[in-house]
Amino acid sequence: MTTILLPEKQLGIRGRLLRINVLLLVLLWAIGGVGVMTLYSVAEGSWTPYASQHLVRFAFATVILLAVAVTPLRFWLEAAYPLYFAGLVLLLLVPVIGDVNNGAKRWISLGGFQLQPSELMKIALVMALARYYHGLEYKKVSTFLGVIPPLVLIAVPVGLVFLQPDLGTAILTGVAGIMVVLLAGISWRWIVMGVVAGFFGIIGAIQTGLLKAYQIERVTAFLDPTYDPLGANFHPNQSKIAIGSGGVDGKGFMEGTQSQLGFLPEKHTDFIFTIFGEEFGLIGTLGLLMLYFTTFFVGTRISLAAKSHFGRLLALGISLTLVMYVLVNTGMVMGLAPVVGVPLPLVSYGGTVMLAMMGGFGLVMSVWIHRHQDTLRTPGWR
Amino acid sequence: MKVEPFDTQRHVTFTRRAAFTVGGTFLLFGGVASRLYDLQVRQFEEYQSKADDNRFKQRIVVPLRGEILDRYGELIASNRQNFRVLLVPEQTDDVAASIAKLEAYLPLTDAQRNLLLREVAEKKNQAFVPIEIMDNLEWDTFAAINFHGPSLPGIVSEVGETRYYPDGEVVAPVVGHVGSADASDLRSAGGDRLLYLQPGFKLGKLGLEESFDEKLRGEAGSKTVEINAAGRVIEENDNRGHGAAQGETLALTIDADLQRHAHEVLAADYKEYPEGTEGPGAVAASAVVMDVVTGDVIVMASTPAFDPNVFARRVDRQTLRELKNSPLDPLLCKPLAGAYPPGSTFKLLTAIAAQEAGIDPRTRFTCTGSFRFGSRSHACWKREGHGRVNMAQSIKNSCDVYYYNLAQRVDIDHIADVARRFGLGQTYDLGIGGESEGIVPDRDWKRMYYRTQPENQTWFPGETLSVAIGQGAVTSTPLQLAVMTARLATGLAVEPRLVRSIGADVPSIPAFALATPQPEYLDIVREGMDAVVNQWGTAARSSLMPDYRMAGKTGTSQVRSLVINPETGKPFKNHELPWHKRDHALFVAYAPYENPRYACSVVVEHGGSGSKSAAPRARDIMRAVLEKDPVNPDRHEFWRPGQEPLRTRVAQAGSGRGGSR
Repeated sequence: MTTILLPEKQLGIRGRLLRINVLLLVLLWAIGGVGVMTLYSVAEGSWTPYASQHLVRFAFATVILLAVAVTPLRFWLEAAYPLYFAGLVLLLLVPVIGDVNNGAKRWISLGGFQLQPSELMKIALVMALARYYHGLEYKKVSTFLGVIPPLVLIAVPVGLVFLQPDLGTAILTGVAGIMVVLLAGISWRWIVMGVVAGFFGIIGAIQTGLLKAYQIERVTAFLDPTYDPLGANFHPNQSKIAIGSGGVDGKGFMEGTQSQLGFLPEKHTDFIFTIFGEEFGLIGTLGLLMLYFTTFFVGTRISLAAKSHFGRLLALGISLTLVMYVLVNTGMVMGLAPVVGVPLPLVSYGGTVMLAMMGGFGLVMSVWIHRHQDTLRTPGWR
Repeated sequence: MKVEPFDTQRHVTFTRRAAFTVGGTFLLFGGVASRLYDLQVRQFEEYQSKADDNRFKQRIVVPLRGEILDRYGELIASNRQNFRVLLVPEQTDDVAASIAKLEAYLPLTDAQRNLLLREVAEKKNQAFVPIEIMDNLEWDTFAAINFHGPSLPGIVSEVGETRYYPDGEVVAPVVGHVGSADASDLRSAGGDRLLYLQPGFKLGKLGLEESFDEKLRGEAGSKTVEINAAGRVIEENDNRGHGAAQGETLALTIDADLQRHAHEVLAADYKEYPEGTEGPGAVAASAVVMDVVTGDVIVMASTPAFDPNVFARRVDRQTLRELKNSPLDPLLCKPLAGAYPPGSTFKLLTAIAAQEAGIDPRTRFTCTGSFRFGSRSHACWKREGHGRVNMAQSIKNSCDVYYYNLAQRVDIDHIADVARRFGLGQTYDLGIGGESEGIVPDRDWKRMYYRTQPENQTWFPGETLSVAIGQGAVTSTPLQLAVMTARLATGLAVEPRLVRSIGADVPSIPAFALATPQPEYLDIVREGMDAVVNQWGTAARSSLMPDYRMAGKTGTSQVRSLVINPETGKPFKNHELPWHKRDHALFVAYAPYENPRYACSVVVEHGGSGSKSAAPRARDIMRAVLEKDPVNPDRHEFWRPGQEPLRTRVAQAGSGRGGSR
């Protein structure tokens, strides 16, 4: 691999902008476009209240993405821990000034915007872990002392989110963190121990009532589709009916009968994939899945091309986060996973997730633009 | 610049594990994709039909019931608009709240509300079936509820049809009534179960409504409605359903006007008893008028009756209990189901049997007021006796002793045979259930009847004496007496019929054979009947002369054996006995005498005297019949299938005052 180092002061903003990965951007726009289109249909053929808002946010998020992308990677490296702590602060604010929504406190209002700190935390966690491993000698990764900080870094936000309560996001945050740890090269010994500990942890959580009844019920409903068809299993069943009835080519744009007639609740958020599947059929759903997978693949290529460990872990970590969202959400609407309230990124209506994802991919883009920097030789480092 | 060796190992590890994650992600995406394939391709049809199930529901359309008409096409039973409000529990999350909202427009009593809530609880498993809250609403109330429909979840307002009988209780004995399906109906419903459960659907429960229910019911339709998740109907499209077919029209031989008139006559007070000794306040009587040529039943009246309009809505238990327990039997169709000893009307048949046995009608027997037979003395109704009478005179004066003499000379089996020839002891297929066969006793009958008491099984000659005057074991219904009279008048085996047509089917009238092989024996009987009415016989006060020449025969039949008043040494008079022990009053007649067209029979339960109670009523009924001449095609137009019914007497709709819970 050639090592061409371009002094970054020779690379102006314009230059960096020109080096963005256009494919990645196009893919993200395509997914966002799907979101806008589906939200238009969800509102029964109207730009309000969802589609136009989504488009505006997406445009705004694109600007953010580009701004993050042209920022030097070194900046992000140095900002990783501060951002992590800022995220923790926001999370701690939630129980204090948070708004209750559907029986859970997950949101805070800041300056007229509604924010879900837990979504932002996922990105911050990946950043913090990537930063940590970037500075750690490889042989120290699997030592006891080497394992503690990541565990703490993961456990704290996971615990805070879990207490909101938001089981789904807590699990996903934890998984995202663990993925980075795995990619960092932790030994198999730790992996096995982690699995066993997790297993006992779940049992303990159920026994001690840490898991609430409705959360357990969601798993029960998931395991048995005939259980409580009008209650816990109502969404998944209706969702399957809607998707299934889409067939191969779908019922057509705006022709989704289940959604139009109100048989599918939450269709602008968690169950938007269902609407899409009902209207565009197998062709549409496989197409959308391909878009996501390709995005992930590009993110992986970027991570492999990065010279800095920080860049590698960051890029792949973010990409895996995206993948997790997609798998859990599509699994949920199709009865492959319990209903845990996870949105479909860039398509579901919701500002924070979009911001987090686009910001995250801004970081990925930054990794790409600055892929030749290993950020080790610059002065002041370490 | 070289890559730091610091980085190499972890780079390698990273790359390897990155490859794993790509592979793993690919597999998981593949899993999702295959699940999509599963849902959208392999199970596509199943989900498509479930999606349709979600939003398309089949609703049953209750068919309109077929109408019942009289001989001219007047409506006897029809359907009229009924404004109803229903509750569909499935369509509301909070039944009690919905009811409370409804009460802003339609107040309910506590009893009504409790009954409704109880019904909702009972029908928990059929929450999609509407429950009727109230019917026969005023238009204003109905309009208000309809207008506020969207804010009343679970409340459905509907225009239904109720069975309506313009003549009310006058026609009840013939048409019967309808009612909602009850538990036993539902058990035998089979495939019609869902139709039975619809609140607007009524079954025939009694009378013609019951026996012709299948034809009158019509065929249920279905319509497909598109609903949203709350169950509210978005759109009705009938392309997948089919319309309901109205039931067939039933045209009867009855003349509704004459029926009403006869009912009034029966119920009126004819002062047969002195003041203070009247019976229970209502007259329990029946009247049948027949066309002797075709057998058409023109009038079949029974009092007291019930108002079938009450049953068509909803009858409360109290009313139903009163009707069932009343000693006057308002639910019974007395002309068909009431079996009474025919009394002296039977003498007409004994006379024929006697002639067949060889007795000359000019033969005279002496009546002294009593007749000795064996160890017993049988009395004639006239204590002084009638003196020497021949057969015609015996009919005119209704002399019992004459017939005691005949009874000694004629065998019971022969008498029974004659009785059957003239219509007694059998049922006729009029299409209404509950007909009584009556009893025509003969030796076989007695053997069967007393099969557990062998000592009583043989026929004693003394019993023939009772039968000869229409007492003893012999019983007949007013219909049978009318048939008997028709057959005596014409000499043909006239068969009665009630239904002229069902739908488009018009059964033809068969030709009647001779009733008896020697019709000449009927001459003297007819002579006697003419004398009864028109020559100072027992029904002299019931003569219609000079306008019409009617012939008839009175009858007074004992309900109990004579009870001697210990104070006077004589039997109690009727008005001295409690009502249910008084004699029945009967009268049969036909007219015009020269060319018989109409026959009638009137039976007044416990009326006391045929000539005082039954004959005057028959006279008044027959006068109206003869004046109107209902069988005359020159004066009346008879209804044919395909014509519109005459609707001159249907009252205006919407007069319900909040229904009948």
